[in-house]
Amino acid sequence: MKPRLQSLSLSVLGGVVGILFFLPLLWVLTNSLRPGSETFAHLTLSWRTFFELKPTLHNYSALLSSDVGRATLNSILVSAATVVIGLAVCASAAFGLAAFEYRGRGLVFGIVVLSFLVPFDAIAIPLSTMFRDWQLTNTFTGLVLPGIGNGMAIFLLRQFFLGIPAELVEAGRLDGLGWFGVFRWIYLPLSRPALIGAGLMLFLFQWQSYVWPLLIGTDAKHILGPVALSNLQGQNFADYGLVFAGAVVLTVIPLMVIAGFQRYFVQSVASSGLK
Amino acid sequence: MRKRGQGLIALAFLAPALLCLAVLRIVPAISAVVESFYAESLLRGGRVFAGLGNYTDLVSNKDFRQAVGVTLLFTVLVNPIQVVVSFLLAVLFTQRAMGSKLWRTLVILPIATPPAVSAVIWSVIYRPDGLANGVLERLGLPVQPFLTSSGQVLPSLIVLLSWIGVGYWMLFLIAGIQEVPVEVREAALLDGASAWRRMVSVILPLVRRPLAFVLVADTVSNLLVFAPVQILTKGGPNGNSNLLMYDVYTRAYAIGDIHVAQAEVVILVALTLAIVAGQFRLLRGDQ
Repeated sequence: MKPRLQSLSLSVLGGVVGILFFLPLLWVLTNSLRPGSETFAHLTLSWRTFFELKPTLHNYSALLSSDVGRATLNSILVSAATVVIGLAVCASAAFGLAAFEYRGRGLVFGIVVLSFLVPFDAIAIPLSTMFRDWQLTNTFTGLVLPGIGNGMAIFLLRQFFLGIPAELVEAGRLDGLGWFGVFRWIYLPLSRPALIGAGLMLFLFQWQSYVWPLLIGTDAKHILGPVALSNLQGQNFADYGLVFAGAVVLTVIPLMVIAGFQRYFVQSVASSGLK
Repeated sequence: MRKRGQGLIALAFLAPALLCLAVLRIVPAISAVVESFYAESLLRGGRVFAGLGNYTDLVSNKDFRQAVGVTLLFTVLVNPIQVVVSFLLAVLFTQRAMGSKLWRTLVILPIATPPAVSAVIWSVIYRPDGLANGVLERLGLPVQPFLTSSGQVLPSLIVLLSWIGVGYWMLFLIAGIQEVPVEVREAALLDGASAWRRMVSVILPLVRRPLAFVLVADTVSNLLVFAPVQILTKGGPNGNSNLLMYDVYTRAYAIGDIHVAQAEVVILVALTLAIVAGQFRLLRGDQ
C-alpha cells in the first residue's frame, strides 16, 4: 500500500510540474486560434484562458503573407543548407580524425574540439565586423557559414567512426576504393544514427540562433524567423494573434524534427553529457 | 613513409573544418584581442594604437561596472537554481510513477522553442495585463510590475530562462541517473521515511560527472544570455538587467564604439573562463 501511495503522490507532483511547464505553450496555442483583439479579453483566469471553443485559422493564413511567414521560409532554407553543408564538413573532418594513423592525431582532435567549444555567441560581434568588411552582411552565405563547423557534431561522428572495423576498410581498399570511396561507401552508410544525431545538432544550433542573424541578416529578403517575430512584437500596435501564430510555427517545426528523430536526439544528448 | 602519406590524406579530409575553425573562431578571437588595443582617431583619420586605453575607459565607466555587477549577481542566482531544479526534476521523472513519461515530455517541450521566441512569448505573459498577473489575481495576490521593477526584473528573467533551460539540462541528468543500476535506485527508494534523503545521498554522488557538465555548460550559456534582454528589457529599468552580452551589443552597434566593444568581449570571455576554471577547481577539490 505504501509504495503505491508514494507512486501516486509522485505522479501527482510530476503532473503539476509538467502542466506548469506546458501552460505557457498551451496559452500561446490557444491565442493563436483566436483574433488578436481578444488576446487580453480572457485574462481573468478561467478555463477559457486556455481553451478556445470557436478556433479560427485566420492568424495562420495572415501569417503566410506576413514578414514572419517569409522569414520562416528563410529559416527553413538556412537551416537546411546548414545541415547539408555542415554534415559534409563535419563528417569529413571526423573521418580524417578516425580512419587514419598519423602523428599528432590526438593533438589535432583536441584543437578541433576545444576551439569549437568556445561558445559561438561570444565571438559573434568580432566576427560580424569581419563579415561586414567581406560584404557578407545580408547574404545567405553569411547566415549559413558560422553554423557549418560544429565541434560537438565532429566529436559525435568521430566516436562513431572509431567503432567501424579496420577489416572493412582494408577490404574496400583491396576492392579498389580510394579514400574518398571508403568514406562515401563504407563509413557514411554505416553511420546513419550518428549522422542523424549530428544533423540534429546542426539544425537546432541554426534554428535557435538569434544574435548572429540579428547582426548579419536583417533586410527583408534575409531576415530569419525569430528576428522577424521579435520585430513584430516590438511594434507599438502589434497584432498578437499574428505574434502567437508565428511563435507556434517557429516552435512546432523544430518540435516535429526532434520528435521524428527522438531516439537519436536523446542519444546524442546523453553521449555528449557522459563522455 | 606510409604514415606520412596517411597524414596528408587525413589533412585533406580535415581541411574544410580546419578552414572554418580558423576563419570563424580563431581569427575573430585574435582580431577581438588586437582591435581592443586600438582606437578610432578622428584627428589622424584611421585607427591608432591605444594600449590599454579601451580597458581603462571601460573600467572607469559606471554603466560597464554596473553591467559587470548585474552579470555576476545573475550568474550567482541563476545557475544554482537551474542546476538544483534540473536535478530534482530528473530524480522525480526517473521514479516509477504513473504518467511520468508524459509529464517529463511536457517539461522538455519548451526546449524546442527558440530562445528569442520564448522571450517574445514571455513579453506578453509579463505585460501588466498579461497572463502572469492574471494568475496572481486569481490567487488573490496583488498584481506585480515584473519587467519594469528594478527588483523584479532579474527574477523574471530567471523564471523565463529556467522555463527554457531546465528541461534541457534535466535530459543530461536523466541520462546520468539511468546509468545507475535500477536495483541501487529502487533499494534507495523502498526504504520508507527517509526515502527522499537516501535518494539524494545515493543518486547525487553517482551522477557527479553529468552534474559537473551541466553546471559548467549552464554557466557558460547563462553568461551569454542576450535575446531575452534585448527583446524584453533593453537592459532596464535603470540598467538592472543590463547583462554583459547585451552591453557589448549596444556598445558596438548603438553607441558605435567597436574598439571598446571588442575590449568588452575580451573581458566577457576572460570572465567566463575564470568562472569555469573556478568551478573545475571547486569540483575537483570536492572529490
